[in-house]
Amino acid sequence: MRCYKDFREFLSVLEQQGQLLRIKDEVKFEPDLAAAACALAQISDGVPAILFDRIAGCADAQVAMNVHGSWPNHALALGMDKEASLRDQFFEFVRRFKLFPGELERVAAAPWQEVTVDNGINLFELLPLFRLNRGDGGYYIDKACIISRDPDDWDNDDVENVGVYRLMVKGPNRLGIQPVPQHDIAIHIGHAEARGEDLHIAISISNEPIILLMGATPLLYTQLEYKMAAVMQGAPYKVVKTAKGLDVPWGSEYVLEGRVLARQRELEGPFGEFPGYYSGGHRYPVIEIDRVSHRKNPIFESVYVGRPWTELDFLQAMTTSAPIFIQLNKMFPEVVAVNALYTHGLVVIVSTRVRYGGFAKSVGMGVLTTPHGLGYAKFVIVVDEDVDPFNLNQVMWAMSVRANPAGDVVIIPNLAENLLDPAGEPNGMAHKMIIDATTPRAPDRRGDYGEVLDTPEQTDAWRAKLLSLIKAMKR
Amino acid sequence: MAETPSSPVCPRCRSATTSTRSTSPVAGVWTVFGCDTCFYTWRSTEPAENTDPDKYPEVFRLNPADFAKLPEVPTIPPLRQKTR
Repeated sequence: MRCYKDFREFLSVLEQQGQLLRIKDEVKFEPDLAAAACALAQISDGVPAILFDRIAGCADAQVAMNVHGSWPNHALALGMDKEASLRDQFFEFVRRFKLFPGELERVAAAPWQEVTVDNGINLFELLPLFRLNRGDGGYYIDKACIISRDPDDWDNDDVENVGVYRLMVKGPNRLGIQPVPQHDIAIHIGHAEARGEDLHIAISISNEPIILLMGATPLLYTQLEYKMAAVMQGAPYKVVKTAKGLDVPWGSEYVLEGRVLARQRELEGPFGEFPGYYSGGHRYPVIEIDRVSHRKNPIFESVYVGRPWTELDFLQAMTTSAPIFIQLNKMFPEVVAVNALYTHGLVVIVSTRVRYGGFAKSVGMGVLTTPHGLGYAKFVIVVDEDVDPFNLNQVMWAMSVRANPAGDVVIIPNLAENLLDPAGEPNGMAHKMIIDATTPRAPDRRGDYGEVLDTPEQTDAWRAKLLSLIKAMKR
Repeated sequence: MAETPSSPVCPRCRSATTSTRSTSPVAGVWTVFGCDTCFYTWRSTEPAENTDPDKYPEVFRLNPADFAKLPEVPTIPPLRQKTR
């Protein structure tokens, strides 16, 4: 476990660990930044973050991408060994998650207050903005934490919200925001609009690596992301209050303060989204920015969103798997692990102990009733406890030999589905499928299963020995 | 130093309501333009399919007359009655 004080400290750790690549050649905003981040994701799931500081036309702009975009970087974000397996990262994430709540540490001043602009704000001059995909309607701030409070319960810290929502820069101090109705900020906007008031917000860009992950985690409305970040980093989470009373991470590079304008909707989009398709245009709420603060020589962070896998899939990997696991585990203590890594959990793989025939199908149906499963999980694959759900070779083996479509596939018609899933019919509805890839148990006596193979004695000891020998050989 | 081009027609919706949003800090390298009708943004140095109305992909073009038909998300709630 480790508590990074700010974005710069994390970048320097990535660099020491060989997980940050500085691009020394001059690049163009378009198409180089998005192309490089997209290419990086195609190479492997162990690639470094990438930092650009020689951008054509700019004197001193710095842009970091792919900061969370590999399993080593994800492990380092959690303060784990960079070689930690997915399974280990999952169990550690879950362990810390269950320690909620941690504490806030309020301090009076932060480095992001070094430079402040109150008049003549022009975001196109203050931020190094650029296009990600050719059909995007504009330049986006797509890796920021948006902080808001409930205007009906203003002083209640537990319903303050830190969320990640895409922001389209539409004018010098004008943004569009995509608040999905199920997300917490939509509740705050709804309350403000019912009162006929603007909603004060703060936008925090480029942070230590935990708070962004928490902003992407589907927490309960009354669970404050800072208190989850505190247990994830093993120390109270340091924040600074804005003049309007919003808590902002101490370690931000940029902080934008503004208002969601009451009862206004305006064209936003399209934007290349997480399912690998462009979202269409919608009339979304509008934000006006009143103040921009930033550190000296600020570093801007962005995430490339494209056809999976990209960095975005790492941001919604453990953050999706862990809450589903914890909720499912309350209903079924037999559940061992949940892998919801694929397209924000449109596919979910569950490993479980099976108590009796038909049990695995009930576990599958349980996934469909979790808060995230309601709107996402479209395919649920259930495997036995001896199968690691994060090891797709093992999952495919289980499906190959432990499932018979005659009795192991269940399709439930017309359930709710995420609006961004292009396969929905109509949009927002889909059939959902459970594949029971567990070995039949009595009284289900289908199949002809003899003894399953185990491993030769000493295999585990040999694996540990070989890993260290291979590591030494590569040095 | 290259001249800053005057604001062109919007490549996406062909409105004339465009203006310069910013120019490169190192003078003459690029200009960013924006449209106040459809809020499209583009940089002078982007590929022609993002800057030239005739080469802008058909599938991404917009007609301002259609904007009102787009879904409104989230729905605007009714105003609460003020209690006195």
